[in-house]
Amino acid sequence: MKGLEKNLKKGLAVLLAAFILLGVYYCYILFFYSDRWFANSYNPRVKLDAWEPKVIPGDIKDRNGKILATTIKEKRQNPDTKQKQVYYYRSYLGGGEQAKSIAHVVGFNDAKLGRSGVEALQVKYLMGYNNPFYEKVYQKIFLPQEVGNTLHLTIDSDLQQFIDKSLGKNKGSVVVMDAQTGEILAMVSHPTFNPNKLENVEGDILLNRATEGLYMPGSIFKVIVAVSALDNLENISSITFDCQGVVETGSQSISCYGGEPHGQVDLSQAMTVSCNGYFVDIANKLGKEKLLKTAEALGFNQDFIFPDLKLVASRLPLKGNISEEKLGLISIGQGDVQVTPLHMAMVASAIANDGIMMEPRLVYEVVGRNGKIQEKLRSKIYRKSMSSENAKIIQAMMENVVDTGTGKGAAIKGRQVAGKTGTAEVYNGDSEIRNNAWFIGYVAGNKSKIAVAVVIEDLPAGQTGGKLAAPLAGKILKKVLDLGY
Amino acid sequence: MSDKKFEIISLTMRYWFIGLIIFITIRILIETLRTSHHHDYEDEGPFGHIIFFMVIFLTSAYALLAYSNPGRFDKYTAILGLIVGISLVVQYNFFRLIFPGMDRILLIIVDTLTIFGFVMLYRFNPDIAKSQMKYFVVGNAGLLFFIIFTHKMRMNTILSNVLMALACILLLLPIIFGKETFGARSWIPIMGYNVQPSEFVKIILVFVFASWFREGKKFREHLPVYIFAALTVLLVVLQRDLGAALLYFYIFIFVYYVATSDWIIVLLAGGTAALGSIISYHLFSHIRVRVEAWKNPWRDIENKGYQIAHSLMAISSGGLIGTGLGLGSPQVVPAFKTDFIFATICEEFGIITGFCIIGLYAMIVIRGVSIALRSKNPYKALLAFGATVALTLQAFTIIGGVIKMIPLTGVTMPFVSYGGSSMVTSLALVGVLEGVAIGTKDDNDEEDQNEDDIYKEDEYEENEYEEETFEEGV
Repeated sequence: MKGLEKNLKKGLAVLLAAFILLGVYYCYILFFYSDRWFANSYNPRVKLDAWEPKVIPGDIKDRNGKILATTIKEKRQNPDTKQKQVYYYRSYLGGGEQAKSIAHVVGFNDAKLGRSGVEALQVKYLMGYNNPFYEKVYQKIFLPQEVGNTLHLTIDSDLQQFIDKSLGKNKGSVVVMDAQTGEILAMVSHPTFNPNKLENVEGDILLNRATEGLYMPGSIFKVIVAVSALDNLENISSITFDCQGVVETGSQSISCYGGEPHGQVDLSQAMTVSCNGYFVDIANKLGKEKLLKTAEALGFNQDFIFPDLKLVASRLPLKGNISEEKLGLISIGQGDVQVTPLHMAMVASAIANDGIMMEPRLVYEVVGRNGKIQEKLRSKIYRKSMSSENAKIIQAMMENVVDTGTGKGAAIKGRQVAGKTGTAEVYNGDSEIRNNAWFIGYVAGNKSKIAVAVVIEDLPAGQTGGKLAAPLAGKILKKVLDLGY
Repeated sequence: MSDKKFEIISLTMRYWFIGLIIFITIRILIETLRTSHHHDYEDEGPFGHIIFFMVIFLTSAYALLAYSNPGRFDKYTAILGLIVGISLVVQYNFFRLIFPGMDRILLIIVDTLTIFGFVMLYRFNPDIAKSQMKYFVVGNAGLLFFIIFTHKMRMNTILSNVLMALACILLLLPIIFGKETFGARSWIPIMGYNVQPSEFVKIILVFVFASWFREGKKFREHLPVYIFAALTVLLVVLQRDLGAALLYFYIFIFVYYVATSDWIIVLLAGGTAALGSIISYHLFSHIRVRVEAWKNPWRDIENKGYQIAHSLMAISSGGLIGTGLGLGSPQVVPAFKTDFIFATICEEFGIITGFCIIGLYAMIVIRGVSIALRSKNPYKALLAFGATVALTLQAFTIIGGVIKMIPLTGVTMPFVSYGGSSMVTSLALVGVLEGVAIGTKDDNDEEDQNEDDIYKEDEYEENEYEEETFEEGV
């Protein structure tokens, strides 16, 4: 009987533990995910009804008050009832072609095709679900139709259009963000579409490359290796490498760009000339655990749960058995490492911001029906990625890259630009090598430091980050400065 | 579509409802914790007022629903709410008066959960709510029957053999006569009703396991029960009723371990179950689909992930205190009347209410096990424990599935989900618990009479065990 009592108490403990776990999980999952679940484009509760909407979605404006998206009323023939009725639809940036520049970041809300971008993720505000009780009751009593709230984004639509034009016909993505606040000033993905004419949009055009596109980073990953080296190798300043143009790692050989030998290089020189041999050597000295730890502090392999945007996790598969060849490839940003452009902008921001990575923000404020500000952006630290001393060392190196190294194209007269170029070699379906050209960097603006990440994909051999991405980044940063940031 | 007047009233009444729900839950929690460790129910304070707050919740919800048709106040609905409310008061007091030793708080918890079912089902469709009320009446007959059955019936080998045979026959029926519904073959049509025998078998399992494992027999002597347990699980797996299989397994494992402290068989059974799950994962596509839908319901929202994705969207649509009764869109959630009723309650009554419901089931755990702990008869203690496991782990399985904590297996939410088999079985299991509680009370009364001179009240608890040995000696 005594044993039974003891066992019953054990049983009680197990059952109660199960329910406590259930309760904790319930709170945890709803706290972190409920907004995302709600914003899912399959959620029929927040669908835009073309003919008889209960709620008219609010406007989306950019940081200067320019209207990016609004709801338009129009008398049309209803095909079901055969009567003239008021038809509601969303119109973007004046309804014309220039809406292409904001297509991915703002997204669309279409009665048939569903929702994407900010239109999807912030639907709670746009449809007025966040309204307090009295506001809901007021609208029901006094307004013919309920209205949603206005969303002000951190996006600058002028900058957005400038970048869209500058990218031209190139495929790729550009992200510009304020390194100290995390505000995203521009986020462009190419190719793009016109959200006002969604009929013929097909394929990967809808993909927002800035947040969902996974790219091989190429040499910009060396920045991460350098941070790890500064963190973990005490004698890093005295480590040099004699570059012969080719380095053997395991059974494979990795050559520097063009097979050009760089001679004796230290960390700073290796960064400036983007010497592969040096970084393969350093990665071997570091080992995978330390490199992984640094990379994870910089956001690799993390499920980003940001309130303002969905960001796909960047992948750095360094767990388990990693051969020397694989580690070598990863150290120069080739192989299985995959990153998103926005994440790389965050890495550049963390360096510019003395080691502190800010949470990327897209929503500046939410304004209610009477102009009352319901929510206002509060910058949040995502994590401390590196010590500020090491960040300053990396800053100096990246300045060198732009002053004298591969990133010369990004230089702006009279301003100190810092950055790192990258060229990732990707085999396409026909086993032909195509290049992805990268540039990440930043410039000290008038108020804050502005970070940028540029990637141009699917380029023929010979088109490198230094040749294509760096000049584009320079042009964009100059525009940012001209706009007064 | 509901009109604006109703919307405004419903929006306003959310605060009233959430206040009542929180108050009721906290009151029940306090009473549960205060009285659980008591030796018997003599000095339990008055908590009959909780039932009145529940009835107020029920009637005000029905009064609100009476407004849900635009333009008129549906008197019938309001009166029905009042009648159901009065019936619950009558039911509570009826049981309280004829069985003074029963666990009244347990009955209050059960009635609270039932009320949630009544309100939500009436909001979906008044007809199914009325059916549910019928099932509740039948279930109360079952409750009464099992209180008496548990209390008076002496379990012996013949009876348990009969029960085992009955369980097998019941489980074979749907395989022979049943029609496939929702991918499972676990219903049989009887007189126009679809009956799910696998529900009723849970009661039999609780009795059979308790009677076989009450004395620490040897492995060989238990062998028939192992085979019986495996057979029942196998039969429900054949019906493709994974939820029931899981529950049978839980009941066996928990009752067996508590009775025997025998880790070996528990691990063996656990291992077999794990192996079985892995094999069936690879063999059966419908199980793979379930697991995939659990891992990432968003990948394939239109097909595999449809149920869970819509359930999660419903839960997240309500916010803390819900959209307001009648203002959500529960109809888009599949199986919103039965398996997914938790998601729809969360949508209209809010996340806080969902949390309170999880808490109410956890309190059934506390009440149930403390009934088992109080009972001095090992058989009765195991009975009570088995019934607790059956009730609460079923709730755990479905709520966990609905919020994507564990893979979804289709079981009903006891007392809340729509369904006669489920309602009757759940109330019968409560009957088992109450029967054990009453038995304990009667035993204690006799003891008290015999030994009043020997032991004083305050020494009683400390000397509980010696007392028992003394009893056996006599």
